[in-house]
Amino acid sequence: MVPKKKSTVLALGLAALIAGCGRSSNVSNEPDHDMTNATIESIPVSMPDNPVHTIVMPHDEPMFPPGPGREEFVTACVVCHSPRYITMQPRFSRTTWLSEVNKMKDVYGAHISAEQAQKITDYLVSINGQLDTGQAPKGTYGE
Amino acid sequence: MNRRGFLQLIGVTGATTLTASCNRINSVLETSPSPADLVRFPEKTEMILLTDRPPQLETPIHYFRQDLTPNEAFFVRWHLEGIPTSVDLRTFRLNVSGHVRQPLQLTVDELRSQFEPMSIVAVNQCSGNSRSFFEPRVPGGQWRHGAVGNAKWTGVSVKSILDRVEVKSGAVDVSFNGLDAPPLPSVSDFVKALSIDHARDGEVMIAYAMNDAALPMVNGFPLRLVVPGWYGTYWVKALSDITVLPQAFSNFWTDKAYRIPNGPNGTESPKNLAKVTVPINRFNVRSILVRPGPDEVLHSGIPNEIEGIAFDAGHGITRVEVSTDGGATWADARLDSEIGKYSWRRWRAPWTPTSRGQYRLMARATNAIGETQSKEQWNRSGFMWNVIQQVDVNVE
Repeated sequence: MVPKKKSTVLALGLAALIAGCGRSSNVSNEPDHDMTNATIESIPVSMPDNPVHTIVMPHDEPMFPPGPGREEFVTACVVCHSPRYITMQPRFSRTTWLSEVNKMKDVYGAHISAEQAQKITDYLVSINGQLDTGQAPKGTYGE
Repeated sequence: MNRRGFLQLIGVTGATTLTASCNRINSVLETSPSPADLVRFPEKTEMILLTDRPPQLETPIHYFRQDLTPNEAFFVRWHLEGIPTSVDLRTFRLNVSGHVRQPLQLTVDELRSQFEPMSIVAVNQCSGNSRSFFEPRVPGGQWRHGAVGNAKWTGVSVKSILDRVEVKSGAVDVSFNGLDAPPLPSVSDFVKALSIDHARDGEVMIAYAMNDAALPMVNGFPLRLVVPGWYGTYWVKALSDITVLPQAFSNFWTDKAYRIPNGPNGTESPKNLAKVTVPINRFNVRSILVRPGPDEVLHSGIPNEIEGIAFDAGHGITRVEVSTDGGATWADARLDSEIGKYSWRRWRAPWTPTSRGQYRLMARATNAIGETQSKEQWNRSGFMWNVIQQVDVNVE
């Protein structure tokens, strides 16, 4: 670190950020020749001045409409993820939605019974599903 | 969002799905995202919103008209609800332990001042980039082509750290954990591992900067693992723990998730799923057609440039061909100069449409060992999409 140059480097970094870093790049290993007290020559990068770096996440999640199974959905699903995990998906068949709900239950340990899983699936199908075509692929893990 | 807004959201989603699912085959035609999908997160510019908690944000494709993707526009993908939103550099430590003689705890300043710095320009791409183009559709993050970015990463090699802690003989894997935490005890913490030889190859690195600035929090501040040529699932964000293991690493995210069929290009059939799967690993070769987009208006007799990007796992892109007649004829695009073997390479092809009507644009890349893009591809997880794109444009 080079305290005396920090503000300059930060300003350059911000300028680069604002400019979109769109310049032609190269793999730069050019040392900072103004280094004084370091044994390792560092590549100049801008780091935050404040040792505590904090962000505030936005909170704007969609409200789902009333319907059978909504209560189970809100209790069991929204505790771990936004309802947008539902609206992001295509209109899957009931088979696929049930497979997703069972994955949450059996693999990730969502606190729901088999009966609740059925109710949640019905609700998801009413929100963003379609009749079974009999050929929808089952979901799997990881995204 | 009020109920009316929600119903509009559902309506739009439904209509898009309906239109998009009619008679689709592989290499589906493309549409542009609606501006309503854009959102702004801390330290980020307007991005395409997939999910907000945990966040999954996609880069608008016009940013791919630059060599380096700006930090504020770089895609975001987290697995667990408990993502870090505050880091105190006075107390943060990178812990290096396990099957080593000299366990180590390092501040970010120590990492920067005690180890030889290195920089590398490398593509980071989500395993599920372009998942929304698979047919039949599969569950997961419904990315278009923007879960990818190219950045200059600066930091230190994992090798230099492992040399310092003196790895004991018999080491097999090295695991990497970050500050993110599961929302329930039953959810497996997101930890990934590399083989000891891979971790020590001198290219796998710990980045404290991208594009010469600190990482945005949602991109992994203060430290991120960089695994050149490998899918983003290995690029652990907010990296806090490195553990050397005398046995093969095993957890949900490796044993069950992020696996691909053990066949050519990770492909299988919906009716005949592969029996054997392996952990996803290196990028396949692909190009992305950046412009013209499907909603651009072109004019007959006016010169245009078709442009895009192409990359692979590090062999190098040697050829990109472009078709303006749906694949009947192909012409070589001009490649921009090479930036680095793990960087993407931009390409461009001049094109002056001679008459009005609809044209089907396609692009395919080939790398130095002759690998090229697929015509058809599917797997149950929607990984590694590299089908030759088809973009229809109207010339007036």
